Amino acid sequence: MALNIVVCLKQVPNPDLQFQINAEGTDLKRDALNYRTNGADEYALEEAVRLKEKHGGRVVTMTVGPKRTEQMLREALAKGGDEAVRVAYEDPAAFDSVKVARILAAAIKTIPHDLVLAGVQSDDYINSLTGGEIARTLGHPHASVVTKVAIDGGTLTVNRELEGGDQEVVQLAMPAVLTIQFGINTPRYAPLPAIMKAARQPIKEITPSALGANSWDDFARGYTFRVRRLSLPEAKGHAEMFTGGVTDQAKKLAQVLREKGFYRG
Amino acid sequence: MADEILVVAEHREGKLVATTLELVSLGRSLAQQTGGSVKVALPAHGGNLAPKLAEYAEVLVANDPHLEHYSPGGYEQAILAIAAAITPRVILVPHSSQGFDLAPAVAVALDAPLVTNCVALSIEGATLVATRKILNDKIVAQVELSSDRPYVATIRPAAMKAAEPLPSSAPITSIRVEIDASKLGTKFLRYEKPEVQDIDIATADIVVSAGRGIKEKKNLVIVEEFAKVLGGVVGASRPLTDMEWLPKTRQVGQSGKTVRPKLYIACGISGAMQHVSGMKDAGTIIAINTDPSAPIFEVAHYGFTANVLELLPAAMKELRGG
Repeated sequence: MALNIVVCLKQVPNPDLQFQINAEGTDLKRDALNYRTNGADEYALEEAVRLKEKHGGRVVTMTVGPKRTEQMLREALAKGGDEAVRVAYEDPAAFDSVKVARILAAAIKTIPHDLVLAGVQSDDYINSLTGGEIARTLGHPHASVVTKVAIDGGTLTVNRELEGGDQEVVQLAMPAVLTIQFGINTPRYAPLPAIMKAARQPIKEITPSALGANSWDDFARGYTFRVRRLSLPEAKGHAEMFTGGVTDQAKKLAQVLREKGFYRG
Repeated sequence: MADEILVVAEHREGKLVATTLELVSLGRSLAQQTGGSVKVALPAHGGNLAPKLAEYAEVLVANDPHLEHYSPGGYEQAILAIAAAITPRVILVPHSSQGFDLAPAVAVALDAPLVTNCVALSIEGATLVATRKILNDKIVAQVELSSDRPYVATIRPAAMKAAEPLPSSAPITSIRVEIDASKLGTKFLRYEKPEVQDIDIATADIVVSAGRGIKEKKNLVIVEEFAKVLGGVVGASRPLTDMEWLPKTRQVGQSGKTVRPKLYIACGISGAMQHVSGMKDAGTIIAINTDPSAPIFEVAHYGFTANVLELLPAAMKELRGG
């Protein structure tokens, strides 16, 4: 059967960089950040495109975020997405991940879907809650940390990664939500013609009214959320740090290994 | 009555997951703040975990044949039945593969706020204050949630010490559930375990692990040679085994192996939570990374801020020449 697949993508600040906090202590200094597609979401997109190539169907790529996320959606189109949807929640930080997940669920509900794929976590906030929230909100079965997907008719058979290297094999009925683990596949690069084509493709925008809401705050009913304070981790003073030239550091490393009895040459 | 703290026990194949007792420890401190007590929810089918858990806290058991294996729907039904019996203020769930599934399900079912991957929690009046580490553990975020509904929170493994046993065992109460088998969500088929045909890094005295900092597969030989000089074995962080530069059996971390060698050398590994949880208890930890803010230096005893591809050959020269 042809599959309608929605892939949830998030644009995150490159986590390999160093970060500074704004004067109020409520957000990062965002002007200096560069953004990229969340790591696990790249695997979710690739898995969606492979499933489409095998079974037929369409892949809708969707994000919740400001205008800058259009760049990410175009990359996703170039890598095999058929449509792109930006839910126009403009908060650049979007720390309240439950609110974002509820918005995503409402947006997905407006699109025919057999399968919803999301990354297992976002590299910035590391919540691992989006897939689960979407699934339960839509009333779909859900499997997290998926490392293998097979489809037979309306049934999914998936491997879920557990801790300690073990896996669990489970079955679930579609429509379903899966969170995809790193390493499930090898994400492709976008070919140049596809990049050119994606640059001209329209990106659909979803506003609160399209989801029957007055404002995005309607999706945070029942609780209030606030960032109290961001800070840099306290240096635990654990490590004795060595800096300087490589030769000096190499001498120190050799010295530590000898003194601790790890080298008996 | 409404200020109880409910810890969801996690177990697999008859064994309790260690994080459960860490959650009990956190639950005790939260219960002091709310004036309630900590209770453990145990969804299970038979087994003998209840008496063991009762050494730490009161246990509420939901026993049903459909709870033999984890399923999001089965466990959700069990937790909701237990929560209905005690009206908890906070529900604590391990931040694990199972928790990613279960915590949002319970939160949505209770229309409750959810905060995940916390390293600390406290209650200030009606407000839940959660401490989370974000952006590769480079930023600590304190967030507040306020609601009259129960809070659901997942707690990062090894973020706190396990609870000590009570002077005498607490009661075990059975909560009546009848799990609706048509609402399990997923159907368990089987476990799959890795076949061991490789060296076992978990038994080695010295583990030298490579991460993304080695840049290219061909540079693995540098790490291998260094490990050989020290009589150790080569481990890896997740990205390297994902790229199949090394077999999965060499992966150190939450989804790989937990190692406790006498010496652990992290070469070009940033130190994401998933890696650190698998090696933080090594006797001596040496970390080499060009980024001085890399979280691996938080757990290391010795930190070298150098390019591993330059430092290792130079150090080998020193060792051999000296």
